[in-house]
Amino acid sequence: MKNLNNKIWFILPFIISLLVFIPIAIIIYSFFLETSDYISLLSKTYLLNYLVQTFILLISVIFLTSILGIGSAYFVTFYKFPGCNFFSWSLILSFAIPGYIYAYSLNAFFSNYGVGYTLLNFIYSGINYNEVIPKINGIKGAIISLSFSLFVYVYLIVRISFNYQSQNMIDAAKNLGFGPIKIFTRILLPAARPGIIVGLSLVGMEVLSDFGTVSFFSVNTLTLAIYDSWLIYDDLTTANQFSFYLILFIFLFFFIENYTRSRSKFHTPSKSFKDIKKITLKGNKARFVTLFFFLIFFCSFIFPLMQMIYWIVKFPKFYGVFEFMEIFLNTLYLISISTSILIIFSLIINYGIRLNQNSLLSYLTIICTSGYAIPGVIMAVTLLTFFSYFSEIIEKLFYLNNIKNFFIGTTFALFVAYFIRFFSLAVNGIKSGYEKLNTSMDSASAMLGFSKLKTFKKIHLSFLKKNLILISLLIAIDIIKELPMTLILRPYNFETFATKAYYYASQDLVELASTPSLLLVLITSFLILILKRFILKDF
Amino acid sequence: MLKKKAFFFIFIFQIILQSTALSKEVNIFTSRHYESDIKLYEIFRKNTGIKVNIISGEAKALEKRIIEEGKSSKADVFITVDAGALGSAHDKGIFQEIKSKTLETSIPKNFRTSHWVGITKRARVIYYNPEKVTSEDLKNLSYEDLSSEKWKNRIAIRPSSNIYNISLVSSIIENQGVEKTEIWLKGFVKNFSREPMGDDRAQILAVAAKEADIAVANSYYIAIMLSGEKGEEQKKAAKKVKVHFPNQNNRGTHMNISGAGILKNAPNKENARKFIEFLLSKEAQQHIVNNTYEYPMIKGVKLNPLIEQFGSEFKQDMTTKVDSYFKNQSKALEIMKISGWR
Amino acid sequence: MNFFEYKNVDFSNSKNIILENVSFSIKNKGQTICLLGPSGVGKTTILRTIAGLKYISNGEIILNKKILSNNKIFIEPEKRNVSLSFQDNALFPHFDIEKNIKLAISKNNNGPLFFSTDELMDLFFIKHLKKKYPHEVSAGEAQRACVIRSISKNPDLLLLDEPFANLDHNLKEIIQKNLKDILKKTFITTIIVTHDKNEAFYFGDYCGVLLNKKFEQFDTPFNLHYKPQTKKILEFFNRGTLIPVKFIKKNTLYNDDLGEINAEVPTTFSINQSFEILIQPEDLHFDESSNLQLEIIDRKFNGSNSIYVLNTKNNNKISASVISDHYRILEENKKFGIKKPIYISNLICF
Repeated sequence: MKNLNNKIWFILPFIISLLVFIPIAIIIYSFFLETSDYISLLSKTYLLNYLVQTFILLISVIFLTSILGIGSAYFVTFYKFPGCNFFSWSLILSFAIPGYIYAYSLNAFFSNYGVGYTLLNFIYSGINYNEVIPKINGIKGAIISLSFSLFVYVYLIVRISFNYQSQNMIDAAKNLGFGPIKIFTRILLPAARPGIIVGLSLVGMEVLSDFGTVSFFSVNTLTLAIYDSWLIYDDLTTANQFSFYLILFIFLFFFIENYTRSRSKFHTPSKSFKDIKKITLKGNKARFVTLFFFLIFFCSFIFPLMQMIYWIVKFPKFYGVFEFMEIFLNTLYLISISTSILIIFSLIINYGIRLNQNSLLSYLTIICTSGYAIPGVIMAVTLLTFFSYFSEIIEKLFYLNNIKNFFIGTTFALFVAYFIRFFSLAVNGIKSGYEKLNTSMDSASAMLGFSKLKTFKKIHLSFLKKNLILISLLIAIDIIKELPMTLILRPYNFETFATKAYYYASQDLVELASTPSLLLVLITSFLILILKRFILKDF
Repeated sequence: MLKKKAFFFIFIFQIILQSTALSKEVNIFTSRHYESDIKLYEIFRKNTGIKVNIISGEAKALEKRIIEEGKSSKADVFITVDAGALGSAHDKGIFQEIKSKTLETSIPKNFRTSHWVGITKRARVIYYNPEKVTSEDLKNLSYEDLSSEKWKNRIAIRPSSNIYNISLVSSIIENQGVEKTEIWLKGFVKNFSREPMGDDRAQILAVAAKEADIAVANSYYIAIMLSGEKGEEQKKAAKKVKVHFPNQNNRGTHMNISGAGILKNAPNKENARKFIEFLLSKEAQQHIVNNTYEYPMIKGVKLNPLIEQFGSEFKQDMTTKVDSYFKNQSKALEIMKISGWR
Repeated sequence: MNFFEYKNVDFSNSKNIILENVSFSIKNKGQTICLLGPSGVGKTTILRTIAGLKYISNGEIILNKKILSNNKIFIEPEKRNVSLSFQDNALFPHFDIEKNIKLAISKNNNGPLFFSTDELMDLFFIKHLKKKYPHEVSAGEAQRACVIRSISKNPDLLLLDEPFANLDHNLKEIIQKNLKDILKKTFITTIIVTHDKNEAFYFGDYCGVLLNKKFEQFDTPFNLHYKPQTKKILEFFNRGTLIPVKFIKKNTLYNDDLGEINAEVPTTFSINQSFEILIQPEDLHFDESSNLQLEIIDRKFNGSNSIYVLNTKNNNKISASVISDHYRILEENKKFGIKKPIYISNLICF
């Protein structure tokens, strides 16, 4: 009886892991294929540089996002200051800005004869401002763009962790004579560690698989090495080998995350849980904190938004030709299907893990979630390879024709790619919510006579409701922003805001990209506002 | 429950719809992203009744997709903005032979092969700031001269990963041989005024802002800036910059092409041929030249005045076959990397 | 047949054997059983095996003629109609207290309860907390809400795990009384786990003392007190000291430290036989002028009476209970005089 139950819960995660394993397997398989001499050339010349740049970018972005994310989460959760209610949700708006769009804005403002130049010239002309304005490009530009577009991952998740901490802990620490700094470093930070690690590992993975931003700033990261070896050196095998190293890198993140998670379960609110009392800040302290928040909000959202609006106002002839409705419906279609599939599967898997408390199953899930680390283009390419192979087998097996047309060049492949890519977000998001519901609740529910399914429907789902909507929103925004996979796998004449923006930006028409970019930002911002209004009322 | 079912059916219906094709159409995969091209395709549809469906993306990504789709590919035409990319696609065997007398007569020999043809030309020229560079400096200046000590810390150019640069170096290899090119590259890279970064326009702006004295970039960018499309500041900046056509006393200025080929498994082969022939018609060429400031592939098309002002009679490199850009591509990238070009 | 049967059950977790051949039963519906024992001995484990939250390794659990668990059969917890109220707060954190209880009522298959939810909440003094969420109430309040939730399901068998662990003394007494009332009127069969002897004796028709993987004695409270079957029971209840005696003549025993002791000796013992008897503090009385004077080594003031720990000439420690009137005199004395003859009314001997 018991064993049979276990088996059922193993099958689905197993199938999903197989699915996620496709790109990884193809990458690993490529290890046994012959490569061109590009890899040896690279190791002679730039490999070290690629690694160092990747590392610098990773560390810097993690450092900056943790300061921005944890800092803002801390002040919003524990203090009252002018504007705290506004900033508490408005920071999330920066989710609407993809790194590459931020990069366009940053470059447009700081480059020679850029917007900064124009503004200064408007105030007082006669100086060659080109020499005065700092050039934010190269790795600096990439760090800033990625940090401001990714810190919100840390902010959101750490804030949720902070919210679940009890006032008792803070009171006890005060009683021990700890000051606010010591409370923060010794009590709050360690207690929020799982959240911080989840947030930062999401950031780390985003950084490692980012292409749009680093290629725009020509920062030689591993992703660029992958793209270069494929797109320029025409060596897909080497590209896949680089991907393999990148995935090893990501597995390091997973290991760290899971190790810390398994060592302590901080999340469960204790039975003597007490709500957090916010401390009101006054005087200079309040002003300083408000300024800090204003700067984050300005840099992460207002600045790129203004840049796009500026472009649209400056080049008004471009936005007359834009097929808004069609692109909007395309986007809606992608989001609704993908999000439902992801949420349903993640729920089932998480439920299986909860029911079985089996380490093997957990490890299987970790493999399932590693798809997040695979750079978009590599994912798309490996999926194409797989589907073409797979459909050929099916065609032979069932004497069918044109099966390939079903898999390739339709949204089907796109949904599979999204599924693999965002599975980690969905599973881990739900997992972090699930862990807050003590497993003894399941026993309690059984004691009330609720079957496992009923418990899931009546207790778990309603507990996870907010969490699910939050995750759906994150997935939706990620899909709206997703570029390389959509670009390669989408059907004919199928555009999203992101592909449209890329289409313009890649052809030296960044100014034109502002129309789809702005619409993208407005739609996601709108979603965030709805969420704020109806789901996270007290957030 | 009903909602769920309806949802599911829409999903399946969408996918089926996407996998069936209409007949009076031509499907193109293109890495050429110009808004004006879409208007051109509209003209084509009006003339012939053939609808043009577009997938745009990076050349290599599109190439891979065409290969993987194999026989069931619906792609008819593959358009790229670099001769090397066309060569790569041909090398993979995804093109079929183009049999068209019209094309053979209208396109110069070095800009076409049996499997793909050039549509437009672009020159990779030298931009300079007249305040910093004298006409003496520029006299008979070739790409090959840019390795001279004289240009130390004065040159701006994009990163080595840029396909236009790779094709430029490939053409130099074709003419000078690998060894000479490698020596040239080492000197050239030493002369960079800053780490290679940004696009071609950024190089021109760097010259205008005196961050560099000369820059190597494609010809049409200056015209785009001068047109005012990019705003007043860039227009003003562009006016500070002049164009020099290198290698006038030998083979001529390096020319790259934007080109197209018909795919081996093209379902609408006839439409594809008609489409490419249309792109090389006088009407289409004039449309492209007017909007994108490129050089026309066929004779009898008037240059856009914004590009014409820099000279229409300069010597183009008509001897180096553009299919050598692919042939020398990997060697070019290798020696560029070795000589320290980021 | 008994209403509930826990037969020869073994249970072990991955490392240790927790229960070994444990058996007990409840004769009739509506009875209350209390399980006593030191912490960590496996009382909660018994409840969890009955609830179906743990699988037993051997044995059989039968409720109302239906097998819940044995080697072959395992009825899922939700189908047992057994309701366990956990020791730690197990309220659903995202529902308010009322909704938590309503969930249980929705699963009541045994017909309406004698009490309404409001009445139950009133009896447990948490009516004002109806709309509060679990994190907004104290641990004790949450626990009472849990108990109400379990009762509201009107289960065939109610299992309460330390239901009043988080309560202060006065409130505990009132609530104990109310709970006993509720259990009587609702006629719910109940097993209560506790480590408080008074609570167990107050509620239990029968009480089981669980020591070292099995029941040391499963009996009525009266028998547990007056007819303890093993020395371990005495130890567990901390009942006094065992002293060696010799049966010298009818109704007279002799101990080297205390001299002659009068008691009714059971007929199973014969003259000149040596054995041990229990000396409880209340068996020894104070007499200042007695010639049996023992050294005082500790005193405990318990209010109306006080306990003195005394040292005998053979260095044995025995306790004596005295009404606190003598406290003042004894405070100065180093010695405690024991009134002779010593008479034990209810002799417990081994």
